[in-house]
Amino acid sequence: MSLELFLTQVIPVRQKLYRFAFRLLGNEEDAQDITQDALMKVWSMPEKMKELQNMEAWCMRITRNLALDKIKSKKYRMADELDRAGEMPALQQHSPHAVAEQNDVMQKVRRVIGSLPEKYQTIIQLRDIDGYAYQEIADILELDMNEVKVNLHRARKMVREKLQNLQVYGV
Amino acid sequence: MEYKKISALLEKYWEGETSLEEEALLRRFFSTAHPDMPDDLKEAMPLFQFFHEEEVTVYELPPLKEFPPAPEMKVVTMSPLQHWMKYAAVLLMAIGIGYAMKQQQRQERVVAAAWQHGDIEDPQRAFDETKKALQLLARNLNKGTDKMQKLSYFNEATDKIEGKN
Repeated sequence: MSLELFLTQVIPVRQKLYRFAFRLLGNEEDAQDITQDALMKVWSMPEKMKELQNMEAWCMRITRNLALDKIKSKKYRMADELDRAGEMPALQQHSPHAVAEQNDVMQKVRRVIGSLPEKYQTIIQLRDIDGYAYQEIADILELDMNEVKVNLHRARKMVREKLQNLQVYGV
Repeated sequence: MEYKKISALLEKYWEGETSLEEEALLRRFFSTAHPDMPDDLKEAMPLFQFFHEEEVTVYELPPLKEFPPAPEMKVVTMSPLQHWMKYAAVLLMAIGIGYAMKQQQRQERVVAAAWQHGDIEDPQRAFDETKKALQLLARNLNKGTDKMQKLSYFNEATDKIEGKN
């Protein structure tokens, strides 16, 4: 029973767990380790798996806690890693110039988001990239739902101001 | 027309009031090129392009490491002797309740026997007993009356001296 649950509900969210860990740690290898550790931890608690209503939120919460522990345990130089993370696959553009310009814009946005406080970054990622509902975000971050809404509003406001200051416009 | 709707949605987005469906709509809109886009929408375009890119990016993850066999639920067998105090307490309570009930029954039996064989059902004797009790009461009452009589003499004497009568 727990194996079936694990294969159908936990393994499919592996990408999300990795992305979450990667955004928090800014390092591919550590993010992979944390993802693996999170999966191991979930696997070691079959009784809990059966009880849970939202397994995905629980997995995300475990990943976050492990990643935050890792950050606390060693001093991270995240800036370099995030710069490397900026080297994203190019969008479907025709001219190399446009591709370079687009990558530059994406990197700026990434930096803007990376410069936000950790809580705001996480909330933006969970809502705007992973598409979680407020309640799910509240479960993952162990916050009150109203607190999630307030923080999301503040995070978006901050992103908007920073983008305006940088004059980053779409290509 | 579409731009107006998107602008309104975007304002809602900045205020943090959009639903998940509306946010998905914004991401879809910004994921395609729009040549004559107004400035307020251009401002948000890179952000939504970034979200879209992040959403569709598939990371190459290493194969999963082997998982240990799923931990089985531990069945803990407990010896009945482990809880001897619990059983002793139950036993003591049972003995206590039994003893109390037995005492109660005994008392009831004594009362019932006294009721059946007692003097109360014998009318003559009951009458005598009652009479005796009432006489005792009357005697005591009379004692009080005598004292009151003396007191009233005193009162009368005092009144005479004062010349009230």
